[in-house]
Amino acid sequence: MDTKTAVVEKKGTLLDAEALLRAPAPAPLVPFPIDVRVPDPSRQTPAVGQRTTRPDGRLHGLGQTKYIDDFYVPGMLFCKIKRAGVACARIISVDTKEAEAMPGVVAVITGKDIPVNTFGPSLKDQPVLADERVFHAGDGVAAVAAVTEQIAADAIEKIKVEFEELPPVLDPLESLKLETPGVHAPSANIYGHKVIKKGDIERGFAESYRIFEGSFRTQMVEHVPLEPHSSLAQWDANGRVTIHSTLGRITLGRADIARTLGIPMSRIRIVATVVGGNFGGKNEITTEPVVALLAKKTGRPVKCTFTRPEEFYSSTTRHPIIMDYKTGVTKDGKILARKIRLVLDGGAYCSWSETTLGKACILCAGPYEIENLYAEAFVVYTNKTMTGAMRGFGAPQVCFGYESHMDDIAKALGIDPLEIRLRNALKEGSFSPTSQTLHSVVVRESLLQAAQRFGWNGAKA
Amino acid sequence: MKRRGRGMACMWYPIGFTVAANPSAAVVKVNEDGTATLLTGTVETGQGSLTILAQIVAQELGVATEDVHVVSADTDTTPMDTGAIASRTTYVTGNAARLAAEKAKLMLFDVAAPMLGVKANQLDAKDHHIVVQGYPQRKVHIGDVANRARVVSGEPPIGSGYFNPATVALDPETGQGKPFATYVYATQIAEVDVDDETGEVEVVRIVASHDCGTAINPMLVEGQVEGGISMGVGFALQEEILFDAKGRQINPNLTNYIMPTSLDMPDVHVDIVDNYDPTGPFGAKGVGEPTCVSTAAAICNAIHDAVGVRVTSLPATAEKVHNLIKAKQAQEQRQIAAAG
Repeated sequence: MDTKTAVVEKKGTLLDAEALLRAPAPAPLVPFPIDVRVPDPSRQTPAVGQRTTRPDGRLHGLGQTKYIDDFYVPGMLFCKIKRAGVACARIISVDTKEAEAMPGVVAVITGKDIPVNTFGPSLKDQPVLADERVFHAGDGVAAVAAVTEQIAADAIEKIKVEFEELPPVLDPLESLKLETPGVHAPSANIYGHKVIKKGDIERGFAESYRIFEGSFRTQMVEHVPLEPHSSLAQWDANGRVTIHSTLGRITLGRADIARTLGIPMSRIRIVATVVGGNFGGKNEITTEPVVALLAKKTGRPVKCTFTRPEEFYSSTTRHPIIMDYKTGVTKDGKILARKIRLVLDGGAYCSWSETTLGKACILCAGPYEIENLYAEAFVVYTNKTMTGAMRGFGAPQVCFGYESHMDDIAKALGIDPLEIRLRNALKEGSFSPTSQTLHSVVVRESLLQAAQRFGWNGAKA
Repeated sequence: MKRRGRGMACMWYPIGFTVAANPSAAVVKVNEDGTATLLTGTVETGQGSLTILAQIVAQELGVATEDVHVVSADTDTTPMDTGAIASRTTYVTGNAARLAAEKAKLMLFDVAAPMLGVKANQLDAKDHHIVVQGYPQRKVHIGDVANRARVVSGEPPIGSGYFNPATVALDPETGQGKPFATYVYATQIAEVDVDDETGEVEVVRIVASHDCGTAINPMLVEGQVEGGISMGVGFALQEEILFDAKGRQINPNLTNYIMPTSLDMPDVHVDIVDNYDPTGPFGAKGVGEPTCVSTAAAICNAIHDAVGVRVTSLPATAEKVHNLIKAKQAQEQRQIAAAG
């Protein structure tokens, strides 16, 4: 069958088709721009203010970004860490013989193999691997390097740890009491305390039209980055170690690694890869000293990637905070005095608690002008997963407190929530709770802009 | 029955560490062809900060963002940086990168001045050229200057800079002082539907109005705000690590630890508040952490508006909201009975 007949048979309108082909092309309604150029923001000057696409976006979109778990180095071993599984205990013994005897297992280390077994951004209260005491259930007690990930996972099941279990301290308000046993005895359970004091709180309350009180609390949450913590260590013949890591802050991470390994910083190179989400959770070392020691012991590259459960119970989390607010206001809803007490559940280790405590205490008054203020914050140890840096350092917690409280006050006084905020908002040149003069302050502008966009009744803008 | 409510929350948040030194250093090299290389010790953790730093360097040198290649996060090659923490990268590392680029630019001006027959302080870097201020017709391409700096003048244009926010230590007794160099401000308003029979809360939309000083890249600011709101929604309604009586986590997995997915995201509208901070690079401050601060408070205020119950502990799970509604109804019944 030739083509011509085929067309005739299918359409039956061969002549129409031929006529159409021979007819002159109709002119486009608008001249078609042959030379289409979509301006590329990354090629524009001035550069600031452009909606430039990220150069790594293309690789992410194509699935070509290499995370540490995608790396393979010849001869590389896989590391798994044995977790305590008990929240508070004394370690009697760690028996690794059976694991070491397994085919494919190349090396096993315990807390006793860590040269300097303490680290932390402020207090050095965290062991790399627990050696004498277990402070929370996610503590590591031993680590295995094996030729496959599966053998390493099987091997940690063969490690026998004998514990003397002790009653854990789990409630932060219990921990606050002096008679409660110390999580890190002889150190006290209250390991951080901060006060912000301004004006005369008693006079402020005395002059108030009404006084409101409210108590709020928040829960423990995880950062849940898509990419779990991971690191890969390789030593060279000159005794220098290169560690690829998911750390978000390599300069200070290197100092911690040097300290725990007991070697000079000049012998450590940290390379941070593209990190698949940090949110504050990757701001301190986790597996890095472990893989470095296992790599040294075996003479082979060693990699460790957290499992999803480890991401939950062996990395830092957000501080639960118990908040008590007391606020004195005028009839018009102007805040005259505010008193706040915060108790932060610090978990098993200090980590970034001091920073969280400080920021929470400074910010807990809210973005408002308050002449008479007293804010006091405590952070206590408990035998729970350590709490540390997480996006906002205490701010989302206290914002839930001061803004819930603000709406309760507004409702009781019959003032619109927008109006009461505008009446109290910080302004250019306002003094902060620490009496700092504030600049580029736009609380009012953001309130009015959001209210207008939302369609909030009574928005003035 | 589904009841609709709305709630707002505003917030303030600082940039950088509390009092403690948190410097960043940076090195900028202007290459022979007029492109530049930035060396920084900070880490790209998904937020797009390296793009922001490239834009800052490009702005200072008068070139385009794609002309700046960023080398980051290697302790052997990149200068000290406190890292991707405390919403500090745009402000602190950005200031360091701008200062480093400025130094390299001034070296270029020294080389370009005799080429253009003017003094170095009469020059400006603009649109890939070194131009004479007030007489932009007289100009020379930045690549020609950078090349000449190497092969004729023998002064390779490489600048380094550092920045550390200016703070004043807090008084240990009163906590008075200047803990941070600058702060950002924001408001979020949430609209929710609460099912008054099941307690289930659905966030319908969130309007977010955020200050970050100058938005170096408005698209990346919007991305940060949307991401922060998704975290805030999880914090408000779903996420919670639970422990058994012995202190062991009982839901350490994504099956039982419920976090929002893209299907749980409300309609989000982001506005950037017009602002300029003279202490930041080109007026910029930062935006990373603040984006998740006010979401939970706004949602809980909206729940209160919808069904009249005050959630005092997070997360506001359906069970918790349901119990609060039941308790409120029981109390109202008692009041009616007492009045009757």
